[in-house]
Amino acid sequence: MTELGPLLERLLAGEFICQISDAEAYRRLQDENTREAINDYLRPLNRRLASNPEASVWFLAWRELDTSARDQLSSQLALTLNSLQPLLEWMQLVQEALGKDAVLAAGDLLKPAEFTLKCEDNASLKDRLQRLANDRFFNSQSDALDNQVKLIFRRLKEHGYLLQPHDDRQYYLVTSKVDYLLDLIRFIRDEENLPIEEETGQQEELL
Amino acid sequence: MAEEAFTSSLVQTGVERLALLGKHAEALMQGYLGEEVDPAAFSESALKKLLAARILWQSDDQSGLKLSHRVRDLLAEMLADEKRRHVNAEVAETLEVLRNLVSAYQEALERGDYLLAEQQQLRLTQEIDDLNNRFTNAIDSLWQRLNSDFGFVSRLNDKIRENERAQKQIARLLDGLELIDFEEWIARVGNQGVLRKLLVSQLQIQVSSHYSSLREVQARLVELLARFRHQQARSLLVQGTLAFLREHPGFQPGNYARRSQVPDLVNLAAPLIPAASVALDQPQDSDQLAALVRQLPKPAASRQSVAEAQATRWPEDERLVARQRALKQEVENFYLEAIDCGSRLSALEYWQEQALQWEAEIWLFQVLAEHQGLPATEQAQLHLIKKEKQASDWNQVWLIEDLQLEWVQPD
Repeated sequence: MTELGPLLERLLAGEFICQISDAEAYRRLQDENTREAINDYLRPLNRRLASNPEASVWFLAWRELDTSARDQLSSQLALTLNSLQPLLEWMQLVQEALGKDAVLAAGDLLKPAEFTLKCEDNASLKDRLQRLANDRFFNSQSDALDNQVKLIFRRLKEHGYLLQPHDDRQYYLVTSKVDYLLDLIRFIRDEENLPIEEETGQQEELL
Repeated sequence: MAEEAFTSSLVQTGVERLALLGKHAEALMQGYLGEEVDPAAFSESALKKLLAARILWQSDDQSGLKLSHRVRDLLAEMLADEKRRHVNAEVAETLEVLRNLVSAYQEALERGDYLLAEQQQLRLTQEIDDLNNRFTNAIDSLWQRLNSDFGFVSRLNDKIRENERAQKQIARLLDGLELIDFEEWIARVGNQGVLRKLLVSQLQIQVSSHYSSLREVQARLVELLARFRHQQARSLLVQGTLAFLREHPGFQPGNYARRSQVPDLVNLAAPLIPAASVALDQPQDSDQLAALVRQLPKPAASRQSVAEAQATRWPEDERLVARQRALKQEVENFYLEAIDCGSRLSALEYWQEQALQWEAEIWLFQVLAEHQGLPATEQAQLHLIKKEKQASDWNQVWLIEDLQLEWVQPD
């Protein structure tokens, strides 16, 4: 169990484990025996391993849901829902600013400096970035574009959507937590019957 | 002889026309990139030659001068320009040509016209080479597109369309290969060794190699298309959700945490921070712990905290300073007394005699401090003798019991 110690600590601390955030730990989690061992260990802590539908991210869920667990989940869900729009806006902004043809995906490399540069050159992007930075989720107090971008990246790192492989080097990797976010959105869409299409047939209307 | 003359004139014209391409390369490339070629770039005679060589063409007098599609294809092929490269899957036509050539070859052999038969054989080889070349080029073009993730178009929708086009091309190429019926060729060539080698054994190897390459590319294209569709689905989901959220700012979904079955996606257990403290119950750990303690950085006293400490002590300050001054004054009196009396004077005895208010320890400490504060020359004249005692038999710490001061006259 000691060899799984660091992985357990990360899971208990509420981290999402994926191929990007911790390749070795993620590889271990592919093994059903390891997962069982972890679940056995977590049982007295009322926790168990859980993943998104494609199993690209692993995290801890409550095993038994008592009132306090449900309270905690409710308030957490509310927080996540509040963060949905700013996170999606950010994803779209990055996609447009960097001229990518696809939504951010796990493993994409992002450089804040490049992003700042692209936004500086374009009044509309700059404006959107400013509004995004002032959103409560990012809550920037600065007027300087550079600082706003830095803050946004830092906040996303704190929330586990980005990983900074070297503290002293300014580049980030997108983690599979974005997969989780999109899965959650799909789930909400299906539950609430939201008129959001994912099929090609409807794309002209949406574009 | 007529045949030879024809061949030589063919070669001559061919060389001239190839040279035309080189001579007008730049103007022709403009035609490749743009819609039309600028007629002003050519002299009248050059224009005539280019039209005669079908390098350029004009649908009618009013319309502009354009590059012929064959030249365009040639350039696209030479440049591996995947946007324009065509895949020619026309196998039926080639097969018809091959059938005719085989018949002509066999007839020539029957007539004993070996020269003609040889020429027919050469044409046969060329036709088969062409066929192979077309497939090789097509497969090369497909791999190029695949390996660049269809990088020659930028938008995802274009990529999806290009991928679908490539898949249709593969289907046509495979259909073309299906048309080659080796039973037919075996029957046709009979026991003629040369033809059998060309049209049966060699062709069979080549066709099966094309076949497996195409299957491989096809599988990869399907895989890539699935990835493109996945990306597209994500894009649409993000766009659609954002549009929805902007339109419905107060959108509030159900509280999934209150359901009897809470979905895993929502069930995120609260974080726990596993904590541990230094424990001294295991003697074997003590060395390691001691090493850790030694590694601790020494706390650096910050200026700020000193300033704060002074501010909080301020109300007591004056009384303290007064007491300090009184103590210092009485120690000075003791020093004067010692100088006056001319012999050793015990600080403790003086303290008792004068019934001083200070605690003995503080008194001795101040006497010692005063001595250390004197200049070196005066220290040499005023000897301070410490009366010390070991703390206990097992403790090597020396405790000062009394101090004696002696004035030594300078020489």
